[in-house]
Amino acid sequence: MSLKDVMKDIEGYQEIVREIDVLNKYGTDYTAQKGQARQVLDLIHPKKLDLKVSEIIEETASTKTLRLVPANGCLPPFQAGQYLNLVVSAGGIVTSRDYSISSPPNQTAYYDITVRRIDDGFVSDFLLDTVGVGDAFETSAPAGNFFHNPLIHGDDLVFLAGGSGVTPFMSMIREAADRGTNRKIHLIYGSRSTDDVIFSDEIAAICARHPRIAWTLVVSEPPAGYAGRTGFITAGLMHDVLGGSLEGKTFFLCGPEAMYAFCRDELRKMGIPGRRIRVEMYGPPRDVSAQPGWPAGKNRDAVVKVALTDGRSIEAHAGEPLMNSLERAGIVIPALCRSGECSLCRTKLLKGEVFQPEGVKLRKSDIQFGYIHPCMAYPLSDLEIMLL
Amino acid sequence: MAGYDAVVIGAGNGGLTGALTLAKAGRKVLLLERHNVPGGCATSFVRGRFEFEVALHQLSGMGSAERPGPLRAILNDLGIMDKLDFVPMENLYRVYWPGRFDITLKAEREGAVRTLQERFPREKDAIPKFFDLLYDFSMQMIQGLFFRDPQISKEKYPLYFKYAFAPTQKVLDDFFKDPLLKAVLSIYWSYTGVPPRWMPFGDFAIMLFSYIEFKPYHLKGGSQALSNALLNEFLACGGEARFSCGARKIMTANGRVTGVVTEHGDAVETSRVLSNASVLETYLNLMDPDQVPAGTLEAYRSRTLGPSAFTLYMGFDCEPGELGISETTNFITTTDDMDKTFAQWKTMERQGVGLLTCYDVSDPDFSPPGTCQAAFVNLQYADPWHLVPPGQYYDAKYRYAEGMLKTVEEAFPDVRGHIEEIEAATPITHLRYLGHPGGAIYGFDKYTKDTAYFLPTGALVQGLYFAGSWVGSGGFQPTLTSGRSSARTILKSMAKS
Repeated sequence: MSLKDVMKDIEGYQEIVREIDVLNKYGTDYTAQKGQARQVLDLIHPKKLDLKVSEIIEETASTKTLRLVPANGCLPPFQAGQYLNLVVSAGGIVTSRDYSISSPPNQTAYYDITVRRIDDGFVSDFLLDTVGVGDAFETSAPAGNFFHNPLIHGDDLVFLAGGSGVTPFMSMIREAADRGTNRKIHLIYGSRSTDDVIFSDEIAAICARHPRIAWTLVVSEPPAGYAGRTGFITAGLMHDVLGGSLEGKTFFLCGPEAMYAFCRDELRKMGIPGRRIRVEMYGPPRDVSAQPGWPAGKNRDAVVKVALTDGRSIEAHAGEPLMNSLERAGIVIPALCRSGECSLCRTKLLKGEVFQPEGVKLRKSDIQFGYIHPCMAYPLSDLEIMLL
Repeated sequence: MAGYDAVVIGAGNGGLTGALTLAKAGRKVLLLERHNVPGGCATSFVRGRFEFEVALHQLSGMGSAERPGPLRAILNDLGIMDKLDFVPMENLYRVYWPGRFDITLKAEREGAVRTLQERFPREKDAIPKFFDLLYDFSMQMIQGLFFRDPQISKEKYPLYFKYAFAPTQKVLDDFFKDPLLKAVLSIYWSYTGVPPRWMPFGDFAIMLFSYIEFKPYHLKGGSQALSNALLNEFLACGGEARFSCGARKIMTANGRVTGVVTEHGDAVETSRVLSNASVLETYLNLMDPDQVPAGTLEAYRSRTLGPSAFTLYMGFDCEPGELGISETTNFITTTDDMDKTFAQWKTMERQGVGLLTCYDVSDPDFSPPGTCQAAFVNLQYADPWHLVPPGQYYDAKYRYAEGMLKTVEEAFPDVRGHIEEIEAATPITHLRYLGHPGGAIYGFDKYTKDTAYFLPTGALVQGLYFAGSWVGSGGFQPTLTSGRSSARTILKSMAKS
């Protein structure tokens, strides 16, 4: 006897059949919902964005802001502090880089990204020297976990910025100022010199207008006779500048690699619990062989062979993220954070050995089954990988 | 154009077991998944020091190695048990109404009955009788229905024929007076999706019976470990998988499947597709109207989109004991009005019942030493979220999350001060990662009219099969099982042709 025959004898069967008959007449016509789920998502979490440069703003001698507007449609919401992954095609190579959005989320017409020239930065050179108004880019939707979370971060915030690391804070400060939030913010902004301080005029103006927002500039290589704060962002300086109790304050940290280890130690000295410290990721280290855990005797300039399961084979340098070597060979894999965190580039390692610095966020079972994050995986031997 | 014996669309639970079953039978299979990790709901994500379990709270149907349940038998068959480490939970759940009521039920019949009798002395006699019914009914359902007794009849299995479609609430009302006792016994509804008033006793009884008899389980590494193990075995059997690459179109000719076009534009030939996408996504977006036989979608008119969920994932900088969390599975309730709670699922109001799971209680290795994590979930429909303007989405998300966090704080007052990482998933988040309309986590609503007995048949595309909660029950065991069953149907049809 089949299920269909059996069920006719179950108490209540006839009533249910009648209910279904009625609903078949008056129920939902799903044909009207074609494409609807995607439409909802496109407004909040689009798969990618097509943007174009509407304006280029000279911030300092080394820095420009690219104002990006949608080529079509509108921009999804974001949380101040989040970034875009910008796909660039420069020097014959398709790659991508992450830039924090410096405009506030309440500004819905455009996203600003603020780019500073870095040594040997072929992407920053390209963005600063080649890109012009009207140029088009594909980017990710806003992403990242470096933002103020009202559930646990409270309203008493300290932003520790180093150099161009000020960009996500600019978004947060502009938002707090524009929306008149209750947040008390103190920006401690480390800069090498006094003449290349991004957003200094605007920050000063906001602080003058908003009693709950303050800033302190700390210059590491001050000109002779400079009267302001100098040196680095030390525990002593923070105690001095912030005054009083540190209870209830949440510290946000974004800046160059060297600043991270330094400031984290300083915060630890001050007894700030880990849950009160939010740190933005910073991408691949300048010199991976200086990272803790790099195997002794391994040469970062070593060249290895990487075989793909589809038969292709490329050369890679031990001291460079595997993703970059793949891109140089014309093999573009999904990328987002380029810091080992988001797992979008997750790839299966079949043979060989890689180094993944501390802080690369691998799932336990991904380690068990041999997955790596090529954006922060450095090949220590010849490899065989499966791109999935 | 490469050819495959079958293309599986979606690497959720059903897609994974389906793909693996086919590959193990020596078939050439392509598995497409638009996300970058396998699992669908059965996945995890990392924030700071924590790897958060997304969806698995209590795995049903496992049983012990000595007394295996149906799911363990399937995972054994699929050859992945040696890669996984399952952790049993000794207790079913705790129901905690802060300041008013607190009870923890063992996953063991006598123990549960005794605890209930102690707490509800006025219902002392009715409690064991109710458990008799629960067990006798379940045994009849198993023998008559699951084991396909050819002599199945009303006379031979009277309880089954009397109660299978009966509303759970009505059965509870027949036995008990205390609304709190009824709420405690039926509290699983808040996690499976239909309130006692409408949940068929057949579904309810077999669920409670099997959680008690086979015990709830979790596994080391969480549900992602299960998904990874299934994929790993699929690849080892010669299966091909593409991630960050969904299906764009299912091709048909004369009412038969002929191939699939991937999101990247590659066309592959196949005569069989196993879709782990929703039936709606499959018929509406992966096919054109002229490819879908008349009557196919009409058969779903009586269905309504099921609930999604709102989940708070919390990583704490201390151990569960410091927070006062002593059980893995905690239903935090502030009401015994289940109908009202269900009505709140369609609103942005703070809800009366939520499930807090702290995995570290039963598996101290789940989070790093000195820490623990908890997921607090309440089901919610996507409807109110569709009305939130995109610009207010994050504000709405935090406002709702704040209400949930307050509920958690009522039960465990110190939690907020120990949260190191927190992430919230809304129905929109579920829509984003699952692609299911309404962000539905269990497919369509599962009223009695929607149970397996009444699944639409009718005109279907030849060679198109489904797996997952849209064509059966929701949850881990049912979806893992459905992929396996559909794959077997495919293998049978291949053997014939």
